[in-house]
Amino acid sequence: MKKSHWATLLVFFVLIPLTLYLGTRLSGRSYYITGTLIILELMVPFFMAFEGRKPQARELVVVAVLSAIAIAGRVAIPIPHFKAAFAIIMLAGIAFGPETGFIVGAITAFASNFFYGQGAFTPWQMMGYGAGGMLAGFLFRRGWLPRNRWVMAAFGFAAVIVWVGPLLDCSHIFLTLGSTDWVGALGYLISGFWVNLVQGVCTMLVMLLFGIPLLEKLDRIKMKYGMMEDENGL
Amino acid sequence: MAHFQIEDLTFAYPTAKGRSLDGVNLTIDRGEYVVLCGKSGSGKTTLLRHLKTVLTPHGKRGGRVLFNGVDMEQVSQRDQAAKIGYVMQDPDNQIVTDKVWHELAFGLESLGCDQKTMRARVAEMACYFGIQDWFHRDVATLSGGQKQLLNLASIMAMQPETLILDEPTSQLDPIAASDFLNTVRKINVELGTTVIITEHRLEDIFPYADRAIVMDGGQVIADDTPRGIGKALHERKNDMFAAMPTPVRVFYGANGQGECPLTVREGRNWLNRCFPAPPQIHGLPAEPLEEEVTNPALSLKELWFRYEKESPDVLRGVSAQVPTGSLWAIVGGNGAGKSTTLKAICGICRPYRGKVKIFGKPLEKYKAKELFGGCLAMLPQDPKSLFVKKTVREELAEMTDDRQKIDEVTALCQIGTLLDSHPYDLSGGEQQRSALAKVLLTQPRILLLDEPTKGIDSFFKEKLADILCKLKDQGVTIVMVSHDVEFCAKYADRVSMFFDGQLLTTDTPRRFFGGNSFYTTAAGRMSRHVFDLAVTAEDVVGLCRQAQEG
Amino acid sequence: MTNDPFSKCHPTVNFLYFLGVIGCGVLIQHPAYLAAGVLCGGLYYLLLNGRGGWRRILGLLPLFVLLAAINPLFNTQGQRILFRIFGRPYTLEALLYGGAIGAMFVSMMLWFGCYDRVLTGDKFTSLFGNLIPAISLLLVMVFRLVPHFIRKTRQIVGARRSIGKGVGEAASGADKLKHGLVVLGALTSWALEGSVVTGDSMRARGYGSARRSSFMIYRMTWADYALLAAMMGLLGLVIGFAAGGSAAAQFTPSLKIAPVSGFRALGLGAYWAYLLIPTVLYVKEAIQWHISRLKI
Repeated sequence: MKKSHWATLLVFFVLIPLTLYLGTRLSGRSYYITGTLIILELMVPFFMAFEGRKPQARELVVVAVLSAIAIAGRVAIPIPHFKAAFAIIMLAGIAFGPETGFIVGAITAFASNFFYGQGAFTPWQMMGYGAGGMLAGFLFRRGWLPRNRWVMAAFGFAAVIVWVGPLLDCSHIFLTLGSTDWVGALGYLISGFWVNLVQGVCTMLVMLLFGIPLLEKLDRIKMKYGMMEDENGL
Repeated sequence: MAHFQIEDLTFAYPTAKGRSLDGVNLTIDRGEYVVLCGKSGSGKTTLLRHLKTVLTPHGKRGGRVLFNGVDMEQVSQRDQAAKIGYVMQDPDNQIVTDKVWHELAFGLESLGCDQKTMRARVAEMACYFGIQDWFHRDVATLSGGQKQLLNLASIMAMQPETLILDEPTSQLDPIAASDFLNTVRKINVELGTTVIITEHRLEDIFPYADRAIVMDGGQVIADDTPRGIGKALHERKNDMFAAMPTPVRVFYGANGQGECPLTVREGRNWLNRCFPAPPQIHGLPAEPLEEEVTNPALSLKELWFRYEKESPDVLRGVSAQVPTGSLWAIVGGNGAGKSTTLKAICGICRPYRGKVKIFGKPLEKYKAKELFGGCLAMLPQDPKSLFVKKTVREELAEMTDDRQKIDEVTALCQIGTLLDSHPYDLSGGEQQRSALAKVLLTQPRILLLDEPTKGIDSFFKEKLADILCKLKDQGVTIVMVSHDVEFCAKYADRVSMFFDGQLLTTDTPRRFFGGNSFYTTAAGRMSRHVFDLAVTAEDVVGLCRQAQEG
Repeated sequence: MTNDPFSKCHPTVNFLYFLGVIGCGVLIQHPAYLAAGVLCGGLYYLLLNGRGGWRRILGLLPLFVLLAAINPLFNTQGQRILFRIFGRPYTLEALLYGGAIGAMFVSMMLWFGCYDRVLTGDKFTSLFGNLIPAISLLLVMVFRLVPHFIRKTRQIVGARRSIGKGVGEAASGADKLKHGLVVLGALTSWALEGSVVTGDSMRARGYGSARRSSFMIYRMTWADYALLAAMMGLLGLVIGFAAGGSAAAQFTPSLKIAPVSGFRALGLGAYWAYLLIPTVLYVKEAIQWHISRLKI
């Protein structure tokens, strides 16, 4: 058994229950602390798997390039608040599979905050982006969803509305709400909905117009690296 | 025992028809300085890449390469990484990390060195290469020359036995390039590191090389001392002769006797021997530049510009008038504001004082559509900035639907055979002609070129010159910013020197370069004590012949 | 870059310090502790950012008021009802609680602002270079590529403009998006093509041929160890007192705040001391510098 598998077991059966138990005994923003710790613990096995794989130079380079494009992409599109980052992350997942999708997502979120400012939301954003990229990888690589631009656009929209947006909202809710006030939480989710809707539409448009061209570019580079025969992502 | 022994090496890329390497046999000894030359596509890079397993391309291979007597396949990856250093063309993309110190340490980290060794080696390299002052800087803040020096230093930190350099200075300006090549020479002389280098800029390295190897069509066609190579290429009337240093070309052009000069100094001495007394015809006629330009295509009046409110002025009163249908070259040092002038002409920078007039009409009166649709267009320094499609054909189709126009431009730029290729699969010169074709489809009457000869070899330069001459015949006005004095001397109609934010002097190339003693062509430097105003190799050859006959 | 002595300490010291600040800041909601967090955070933020820091601090004020005022709308518990809104009670306790949340949020923003200035990307990656070598290297590569790509993007936009393919300010959103995606596509092709070279350059320099080590440009000095020990001591005190209930505070349904007096004030004192470490170092160095200048 690989190290990362042991880590997964450890996280699920020891660390997370322990965190939950300790969380109930904390005062203050215990929900935020507990939630953040669990998110960090959940990410550990993924990172360990990546480290354990001893990624090759070409894999590191492609992941770094995709992350940097996702971050720098906002300079290219002259529309304020228009972010193509999440779409690029999901396309990375679609092209190279779930593991790469997760790493591109998590690294993009983390690295971009070095340029635009870290915050209490950083781990949540890493999880949101990473899991989004991973899910896209699962669904499209396994052939459960076709590589069709309309399907990709719809998936992108749904992923932002249902997963990434609410997860980020949760970090704010846990940090700023008092006791578990479900009315308040709902209020936050609704007020965050419009922002998420805008981001969802952005992601959808990018997937629709840019998805297939980007995948073609990635295919070309796979050919150049001679890694077409390699089924497991990179 | 030879350092590298290449035996019957044959190689073919999977998709290509012919062989890229065809029966190459070579021996390279320890501590040698070897120059590998040949046209683009002659197999130079492919050969170099066979000297390091991780860089060897996929394809069909025959023969073998021995490193220190051991088959390359048997040398461990770690040994190869440490002992064979490889510097590539592109200064930017070779850099991996974001800090200078980290980049210096990258190779050592990869080899798993301990802290103590790494500290010592990094410090040593930073001192040897003069990097101390920018040791903590972000890589993004370095100039191209500094980046390439950093690449070299980070390889030397691993203390390689061999240094392989694949056109390392093609993206640098001449001063940075000769600094870089001097450092390489210093490494060869002081450390005894074997150097194998390919270069377009033979003037700077030919005199110092122990040996030159010429490749053509995947074969080694000549392998001799630099002097011997000049002779062999001349005798065989090989195309590569055009790439030889100016003294060599002049010597054989003028049927010189004795030992062939390689450097400007040797060239001067040779001319002294040929003409002990000053020859009767000792110069070329040169009409002065007409002062008043009637009907200028472009006129700049007292342009002042700075990028930020607080920053110093980049343009400090730039004025010029360019006659229609001429080629105007702007030369000058780095960061002097040459490229900014081009940006001001096409409206990307807005000068806070002064006026740009295009065909007599102020720039700001033009609408963007009117200006860039048939009036003005610019070819950027990096032609890749213009590529957005999958094939050259689609690139051209992005500009216009007019088939006939596309065909005309394709023929003019000689890219007919490249239309179905991916723009990134082309060589530097081909990429540039494709980008130029794209720019020409806007049918500009004024064409701006930013460093058009950067990174392309002498054959492609001639093709480019050919295209520019044809455009001039059609009445197109060309403005060119360049470091390439030889190119400017040969093809420009007027040359201006940019210095300290201003255009200091403007003259015909002959009078301009003929009058300068430092900032001039190698031909000019070599012959100025004998002939007046001879600035190209052809000028000198012509005068020599006249003098000998007369 | 400001000349901040704390920023020059070893990244381990920086990282653990901020971990402590942020952990305590999120968990402790005692008003006196929160006030300490906001004041010390604000002070250090100003030292790091100079005059420009005031703008961000003033910008946080409305956020504080908003968070304080909103909480009672959701949280209706509490005894002293100030007024009723939409038929729901708006209580003083909930308002105070909101104030506490606002203060916590503002102090987090300030401390994260300081974190960004102190623990820069290269410090973070050199800190974790041995633990997670591949991910650290990946981050370093992204840090290099982002400015590189931004510059290239500007070049592509300029190049397209000067062949008549630019978009003006007045263009419609759809045109801007189309143009933006063309630029993004060109950037991607160029970047992926360059990545082949970078990959070659990494392998040519032995990447993957041995177990990677990590060059440590930062070294722990005895001053770093001393500071670390002092930090840990103070943090231990704070945690000890907090666990003992000295920092307990409950707002709703009824106000129960542990008094800060006598022996218990020690916990608060330790917290202040902990939070003031960077500021004290800054002032100390400024004074020393001044004195040494006078001597000359």
